[in-house]
Amino acid sequence: MALVRTERLTKSFGALTAVNDVTIEVEAGSLHSIIGPNGAGKTTFFNLLTGQHTPSSGRIVFDGRDIAGTPPHGIAHLGIARSFQRTSIFPTLSILDNVWLAAFARRESWRGLAWRRADRYPAESQRALVTLAEVGLGEKADQPARELSHGEQRQLELAIALAATPRLLLLDEPAAGLSPDETQKMVTLVRALKGRYTIVLIEHKIDVVMTMSDRISVMHFGSVIAEGTPAEIQRDADVRRAYLGGVVTG
Amino acid sequence: MTRSPKAWLAILAAVALLPFVVRQAIATEIWIFAIFGLGLNLLMGYTGLLSFGQATFFGSAAYVAGYLLKYHGVSVFLALSIGIAVGAVSAALVGYLCVQRSGLYFIMLTFALNQMFYFTAYQWTTVTGGEDGMPGIPRPNVLGLDIHSPLAYYAAVALLFLLSLWVMKRIVESPLGKILQAIRENEQRAEALGYNVPRIKLAAFVVGGAFSGLAGVLYAMLFGIVPLESIGFVFSGNVVFATLIGGSGSLYGPVIGSFVFIWLSESVSSMWARWPLLLGVAFVIVVLFFRGGVVEAWARFWAWRAAHRGPAGAGADGPR
Repeated sequence: MALVRTERLTKSFGALTAVNDVTIEVEAGSLHSIIGPNGAGKTTFFNLLTGQHTPSSGRIVFDGRDIAGTPPHGIAHLGIARSFQRTSIFPTLSILDNVWLAAFARRESWRGLAWRRADRYPAESQRALVTLAEVGLGEKADQPARELSHGEQRQLELAIALAATPRLLLLDEPAAGLSPDETQKMVTLVRALKGRYTIVLIEHKIDVVMTMSDRISVMHFGSVIAEGTPAEIQRDADVRRAYLGGVVTG
Repeated sequence: MTRSPKAWLAILAAVALLPFVVRQAIATEIWIFAIFGLGLNLLMGYTGLLSFGQATFFGSAAYVAGYLLKYHGVSVFLALSIGIAVGAVSAALVGYLCVQRSGLYFIMLTFALNQMFYFTAYQWTTVTGGEDGMPGIPRPNVLGLDIHSPLAYYAAVALLFLLSLWVMKRIVESPLGKILQAIRENEQRAEALGYNVPRIKLAAFVVGGAFSGLAGVLYAMLFGIVPLESIGFVFSGNVVFATLIGGSGSLYGPVIGSFVFIWLSESVSSMWARWPLLLGVAFVIVVLFFRGGVVEAWARFWAWRAAHRGPAGAGADGPR
């Protein structure tokens, strides 16, 4: 069953249609990748899903209800978490606090919000520590986030999304700007998430996408020009022309 | 957090000694101004909202509570409670309008609304006394205790200051304190995590306003008058200024800032009429070299000492 699907989703900025009539279904428990050249509308599509932008038309159905137009903080409470293409963390706060804030935001009750000490929320602290250990930052929990290397900040970015215990995880180029070694590490991390979360992944590195994804949607100039399994996408002539060229190695 | 007991000891010592070092009225004013600064700092230091209109809440509370003390003979307890409520409600009104905007527009809005309150007080002479202020604010007994003597009033204010500091400490160490800092650091991410940013900013305004209101009523009872300046933009500027000198973003920064600001302005101004010049110089030094104010200068001094203690200590500090 589809956990989230968009129906003819469109977003225009003036004369520019950044996302054009996009219909995508993401199966629960699957890893669904979105590929396409720069400016194809992939990040705008994410911004629509997470409420940063309101759609010009079309529907977003999450778990059976239309969520188009819900503000970002409301989207988060539905259980949709995202990582950002450009690292978006809390630089002067500790790494633990960065992740703890994500875990705390999902609490049902805000009892003690302005009075109980923040370290007296064992469930959230535990969740934060486990998540940090999972992405390999457990040792550095007390350091300020700004002291991390770019590669580690990308890991933290992922951890912040994970700590929210999401039902739907949107990853916007988790390996952006990483070295080959770091990319390998990130691929291993994301691969380990597969099956445990429903994931929509935007990624440029084709070989990564081809080996990991259950399904792939290809976007070009705001529209989905192809969708299918990795094998199907690789055979698709339109996709080769628009995007893949001769670089397919996987 | 481990340093906290030391800080509290220092503050307790300061509270105990201050009235015997400076004039008692000045000592009292220092702690009142510190409460005012604590409220601002929640907005400025923790949430990153430079409110240039804190006197709105301070002055409104002083006028309302002062009026009730003077004409209706309410108890000190009631006056303080009402002052806190007036501070919180006026901050909710102002905050509701201001949190819709950010950056320069936010600052200008807090300033403009402050001016509106100021001119209301200026014009409404039958109640506020306009330019002359509202004199004759009494200082009734508290639970049978006479607080007319400067030292007794000092003790009462110092107690409320310690209480305020403790409450503020709880707030900044609570989840709310962390969420406010998250908003300061990265509003978009905080929103994406599920925090309703405008509403939380409004909460910071209300809490900050409550502290300002408490300070306002204590100020009115200290001098027996609500001067028009207490709701003016210069007053708003002073508390920003004092907090920056002490160190915004640290719990104790505004306390130290208040001490420096009030003590300098009271002691130096009696000797030298051009004393704001000295404050100006202090301000320039802080902005250029110690963005974290006295608190940062102090921390840096100790780091420097540790690094110069011996060859083993030097460089063991690691990269900055």
